Amino acid sequence: MFYRRAGIRHTRYQDERQLFPLGFDRFLILSVLALLIAAPFLLDRFYLAGYLIPWLIWTSAALGLNLLMGGAGQIHLGYGAVMAIGAYTSVHLVRAGVPLEFAMIAGGLMSASIGIVFGAAALRVKGIYLAMATLAMQYIVDFVISQTPAISGGSLATIQVPPVSFLGISLRGDTETYYFALFVCFLIALFMLNVGRTSFGRALAAVREKDYAAQILGVSVFKYKLLAFWVSSFIGGVVGSVLAVCYLRAISPDQFHIELSIQLLAMVIVGGLGSVLGPFFGAALILFAPIVLNNLTGLVATSFGLAIPIDLRAHIPLIAYGALVIGFLLYEPLGLAKIYSNLRNYMLVWPFRHAQR
Amino acid sequence: MAVNRRIFVSGTAATLAAPALIPSHAFGQDKVIRFTMAQDFTRIYTFVTSEYSQGQRDYFTLINERGGVNGHRIQADVADHANDLPRAIEAYERGKREGAVLCDPLSTPVARALVPRALEDKINLITAFSGRSDAADGSAFPYVLPLSINYWTQAGLIVDHFAKVAGGSLRGKKIVFVHIDTPFGKEPLPILQVLAQRQGFELVTFPYTPPGNDQAAIWPQVRRARPDFVMFWGAGVGQTVAMTEAIRNGLPMDRVSSSVWMSESDMEVVGKAAAKGVMKVEPCASGRDPKPIKDILAEVVAKGKGAGPEAKIGTAYYNYGVQMASLMVEGVRKAFEKSPNGPITGAWLNEGLRSISNFTAEGMLPPTTVTKEDHQGGGQGRISQWDGTKFVPITGWFTANQDVVWGEVKKYSEEFRRTGK
Amino acid sequence: MDYILIAELAVSGLFVGLMYALVSLGIVLIYKTSGLVNLAQGAMAMTGGYVTWAIAAGLGAPMWIAIMAALVVMFGAGMMVERLALRRMIGQPVIMTIMLTLGIEIMLRGLMPGVFGAAVKRLDIGIPQAPLFLGELLINRATLIGGVISLGLIVLSLAFFNSRYGVVMRAVADDQTASWSVGIRVERAIAVAWGLGAVMATSAGILWGATQGVDWSLSLLLVKALAIAILGGLDSIPGVLLAGLIVGVAESLATGIIDPLVGGGTRDIVASVIILVTLLLKPHGLFGREHIERV
Repeated sequence: MFYRRAGIRHTRYQDERQLFPLGFDRFLILSVLALLIAAPFLLDRFYLAGYLIPWLIWTSAALGLNLLMGGAGQIHLGYGAVMAIGAYTSVHLVRAGVPLEFAMIAGGLMSASIGIVFGAAALRVKGIYLAMATLAMQYIVDFVISQTPAISGGSLATIQVPPVSFLGISLRGDTETYYFALFVCFLIALFMLNVGRTSFGRALAAVREKDYAAQILGVSVFKYKLLAFWVSSFIGGVVGSVLAVCYLRAISPDQFHIELSIQLLAMVIVGGLGSVLGPFFGAALILFAPIVLNNLTGLVATSFGLAIPIDLRAHIPLIAYGALVIGFLLYEPLGLAKIYSNLRNYMLVWPFRHAQR
Repeated sequence: MAVNRRIFVSGTAATLAAPALIPSHAFGQDKVIRFTMAQDFTRIYTFVTSEYSQGQRDYFTLINERGGVNGHRIQADVADHANDLPRAIEAYERGKREGAVLCDPLSTPVARALVPRALEDKINLITAFSGRSDAADGSAFPYVLPLSINYWTQAGLIVDHFAKVAGGSLRGKKIVFVHIDTPFGKEPLPILQVLAQRQGFELVTFPYTPPGNDQAAIWPQVRRARPDFVMFWGAGVGQTVAMTEAIRNGLPMDRVSSSVWMSESDMEVVGKAAAKGVMKVEPCASGRDPKPIKDILAEVVAKGKGAGPEAKIGTAYYNYGVQMASLMVEGVRKAFEKSPNGPITGAWLNEGLRSISNFTAEGMLPPTTVTKEDHQGGGQGRISQWDGTKFVPITGWFTANQDVVWGEVKKYSEEFRRTGK
Repeated sequence: MDYILIAELAVSGLFVGLMYALVSLGIVLIYKTSGLVNLAQGAMAMTGGYVTWAIAAGLGAPMWIAIMAALVVMFGAGMMVERLALRRMIGQPVIMTIMLTLGIEIMLRGLMPGVFGAAVKRLDIGIPQAPLFLGELLINRATLIGGVISLGLIVLSLAFFNSRYGVVMRAVADDQTASWSVGIRVERAIAVAWGLGAVMATSAGILWGATQGVDWSLSLLLVKALAIAILGGLDSIPGVLLAGLIVGVAESLATGIIDPLVGGGTRDIVASVIILVTLLLKPHGLFGREHIERV
């Protein structure tokens, strides 16, 4: 109905090779984008600062991780550490007077150059062993940051982010930081949408499916594994600096611990491995399900007078977080993006199910 | 189990959509003062939060049962932020939207992230036993109120008590400081170093890795250092393990002291008899004897309105909760004294909180005076000792080494003033 | 250099290492038969500790009955986890199984404190706390007894692999399809491995719970256990024994020797460094079987 697939006839190759060949998809994307742009005028500050900004930032990070995990098939349990490197580099540079634009890039480069060390492990081992290696590196990076007062910032181990501006716009209020996060997220999403159409993306896919086979086909596994880690760590570093500047405003080592890495991993898995849309869904679910459940149990407890012990009540979101991860893996391993695509496939030719797709 | 994909997906969707469908209660009563009590029940602060929160809620119930403050009910919105910043900030922003005038996150990382926001939004951020120690400087942090002794003061109190035990002077003595290797654990170090220099004792420090569930390699070294006194600094499981190891290494427990983070349930884990003699800092009286606790037992719990298991009432962390709640209520009372007609805002409550003077909650707290400069409330506490069944105070309320503490406070608050804003 | 201190640290490290090795023994058992690394092993140890506490404190059972009952319950629980969750993941990419066990870990970490209460629980298995001196050397009774029990269990599991059912499990570990074709019930062997893994986790949870109290932080045993399993080789039980001793002593000595130089707690980082170095130098560990990949 909406898609009017039957009425669309591509007559040129460019038309069919567009990012979104179907008119309705383009319309949908543009209207969501328009809504996001208009959000600060439509929504209360509470939704902006409490929901939209973290959603955009965590989505950006999950996109970067998804390039590595879904795109190149490498496991990474230390993405939080990569983000920490970017965040600390850029905050220190900003404090030294470097403009944010450059500090962000520098943070990304720093993350990328250290993240490539994680990649070096990937050349040697894979699968579960790679997971362990990256996990170990997460702990090592954490340790180095918190044990070096010059990085973590003295005995209180908190560094305040000074007021910054991006391209002449001061990032102080929620609206400005929101647009900044949206801009970064948009750029990363655009990159991710296009990467699959480049030779780089195709080489990654070959490495993902079977690295030996890719090598035999003439794709340099050495080069592309390292490149995958480089690009994904660069994105992680940039997002780390966005996170520090837009959202945390004061960084301390414990904000980038293994929990963050696992959270991002869960977002990618629940959203859908290898999909661009997935992290958007995954981030929303993993970030907001605990909040929603928390409020729900609070509401039930107060309005119906149900005396749930506070320990149990408080742990329900954590249980649900675990249950969500387990449930998705068991019942929908391809994640929320797959559910969306099922829906879309169904709607493509609705109501003429017998028609050819 | 006949769960298939469709049931799982639709079940998840239904659960998440439910809150949107249930009409959220418009809390009609306009005579309500809202506090946001988003705390960490599930991650790091599990050892304290449920008892602390129970104490706070019981005290608020007590006040509300008596008709509230000036006819206003106190409503505490309890939520779990799991030490996770997105959730904490969401809870804070939600509270702000609903008109909360105070937020008590009881978590150092969360408090640190909320400081810039609270200063901007003029919402009172209570950082008792958490957050930045330099928030004691009210002139730099007008809306951040520890309202209790910070870690620097606690370290100062312990050293002062050690000096008394040693017969007046610590010169030539050796104090071992065993601490969790986190910013929180390292916090007292600058104070101890200054004091070591000034009072001439030798300071030996041993960090252990968080959360401290294995300290088997630390305490033999402590024993071999042959200390005169031992201070251990940690929280939760680190504390119980530290005590157990100290006992196993045969250290004299009456020369061992810790911060405020020690409670009856820790003693339960260590073994009540074995831990006899160990000391802690008390920011308020413990046990069921203080008047507010008796009132809670009589007017709240007896009516079946208690917020949690009765056995927990009167434990150390429960009483900390009551302490903080009573200070908050006193702040509200003072605010009504200053401007009886409100409007009830963060700034209004801030005026009240910062004019608390000589408040003792009927003998439960040390005399607490909060001023526009001093948000610590005077820096008084006492040392108490475990006698095998309960903590017995062995000193009166006292304060010590405040000049060193304030030197450190000023150093960091200056730094904050220069770069933070 | 204080040699007595070093000797004391080494001895304590040996016993602590054995106690860690008990956790990784479960990981190895499961990996050996099913080829999965169970990242929920730490949370299972925590669950075991909680269950033991619940039976002892909640039902008032004597401690030895509680321990027996907990072991039986956890054996069943381990088999349930395999049956309900992991078996469906056969054929899925390795990241899915990693994430699934992480999900189980998160869920258990919420479920146990949620149901039984988050405050630290005391688990008293009757080890006296009085110090025990051997000349100048102090021996920590709790780690001594814990280490000896762990050693016993590790030797027991070595013996188990020589029993009749142990041979079946070795066959499954060797080649699942071939075992199938000669009439071995592969699924049951894997389920038993999970059950045994949970039993090992429970014993570790009880031993550690007795020294530190039972709360969520028991699940942090995972990282140490992983380091031991990786160093020893993920499919080798003698490897666990040796690697446990190495990791324990290395950590203990690091605390004594490196800590004063760095000025920070290096104990946890030792495990990570060991994981990393092992993977870079000898990915399959000391005794692990090399896995040959064919396209």
